[in-house]
Amino acid sequence: MAKLEIEGGRRLEGVIPISGAKNSALAIIMASALAHGESVLENVPQDTDVAISCQILEELGAKTFWDKDGRLHIQTDNIRGYQAPYELVRKMRASFYIAGVLLARLGKAEVPLPGGCSLGSRPVDFHMKGFGSMGAEISIEYGCMKAEAAKLTGCKYYVNRASVGTTVNLMLAASLAEGTTILENAAKEPEIVDLAIYLNAMGAKIRGAGTEVIRIDGVKRLEGVEYDVIPDRIEAGTYLLAGAITGGDITVTGVVPEHLRAFLLKLRETGALVEEEENAIRVACSGRPKAVDAETAPYPGFPTDLEQPFLALMTLAEGTSVIRETIFDRFRFVDELRLMGADVKTERDTAIVRGVDKLMAAPIEATDLRAGAALVVAALAAEGISTVRGVEYLDRGYEFLEDKLASVGAKIRRCKD
Amino acid sequence: MAFEEERTMMFRIDAGKEEIAKTFLKVYEALVAKGYDPVDQLVGYLLSGDPSYITSYDDARGAIKRLNRDELLEELVKYYLKGHDNGSSAEGRG
Repeated sequence: MAKLEIEGGRRLEGVIPISGAKNSALAIIMASALAHGESVLENVPQDTDVAISCQILEELGAKTFWDKDGRLHIQTDNIRGYQAPYELVRKMRASFYIAGVLLARLGKAEVPLPGGCSLGSRPVDFHMKGFGSMGAEISIEYGCMKAEAAKLTGCKYYVNRASVGTTVNLMLAASLAEGTTILENAAKEPEIVDLAIYLNAMGAKIRGAGTEVIRIDGVKRLEGVEYDVIPDRIEAGTYLLAGAITGGDITVTGVVPEHLRAFLLKLRETGALVEEEENAIRVACSGRPKAVDAETAPYPGFPTDLEQPFLALMTLAEGTSVIRETIFDRFRFVDELRLMGADVKTERDTAIVRGVDKLMAAPIEATDLRAGAALVVAALAAEGISTVRGVEYLDRGYEFLEDKLASVGAKIRRCKD
Repeated sequence: MAFEEERTMMFRIDAGKEEIAKTFLKVYEALVAKGYDPVDQLVGYLLSGDPSYITSYDDARGAIKRLNRDELLEELVKYYLKGHDNGSSAEGRG
């Protein structure tokens, strides 16, 4: 196991290029298996979740490789397997997307119920109900979903809680179904739009992605294409917060600022200077941030994936902020912040953060991916050298984390635990 | 005075029309050049506002973001109605 050593208290300044969006890439990698031929994906982050996705596809018959320019090639002509490997699927929640793919392509799927970060109960019932509405027979045996359909047929389906996972899985299944599927209350996240654009480029007919109603006219066959994955808005937001908490001046490049609208509004409320260009965002800060309340919401609201790093910033704010997490259970990590001197009280979905003058270095441990990001943000501002364990979580979603932070002045190194 | 205001307004709309037409064509060409279905992509952008629908190739994304989506839609509707005009002026209705 590895750990990070971070010497805090250094002002970060400079430019950080942003990688492709992990959450988009995972859906697109799985979607590639709906098609015949080869997809060539650019801007795919080389993190562990992407590696697991490729392994799952290989187990099912695909060939994958990275070329010298960092593009991911996926050849999917020989997808024959319909049983997704238990050990791999259990590691990552997004691997359940393979269910919609296999059901659509082979008419049969056996996929273990997924694992992933521990963020409270996140059942996949709605994915399965959706498959059922499209005509699949569904059962659960020994922790594995078994689904079978002679043919999938389009349906009208209400997506509970505008779930991203359900929207993705049903878009995948519906792309090769017979007839039209209409998803109401669909997720509107940029990653949904990215998936729709990729599927359409392969020959699918999907309209309305990015709105609450998505219409999918099923087609008979899809063909692999070349495609660029969108930039990772969560990675961008994390580095902007890292800059903000150190009173620094960070510009993230290769981003779509519109994807971070609610987050940037909150950052402005803290007193930060926020400048947007077409493909870049600069955030500059001096002094302590002002306390700001925030509440997570599905896109275009404040993103749940940035709630923990934002809370870390608020530990040093002037005043008291109230952070409400409405989507997942994400407050376990505040115990680690308290070790650093933060004053945070939590009750159910709400955290009350009383800003303190300073954080002190401590040995801390990530309990999930974005908790890890929050602890890194906090450690960058803390006095002394913090050690962050649970680096394997960070590796799931932050490509070249240490290199990127070091390039703007952070003193951070990875070492063996 | 009323005449002056009307003239000023007409000039602004004409200038906007030209800019909108230029932008649509620029975006169309960029989307075609990158292998996308331009109608699908433009409709996606107009419905959702997500700039990802528009390629950044040849500054197409930047160009379309400089215009308000409601104005783009208004111009499209006006243009369509004008093209199917059965005697009454779409311009007049707008």
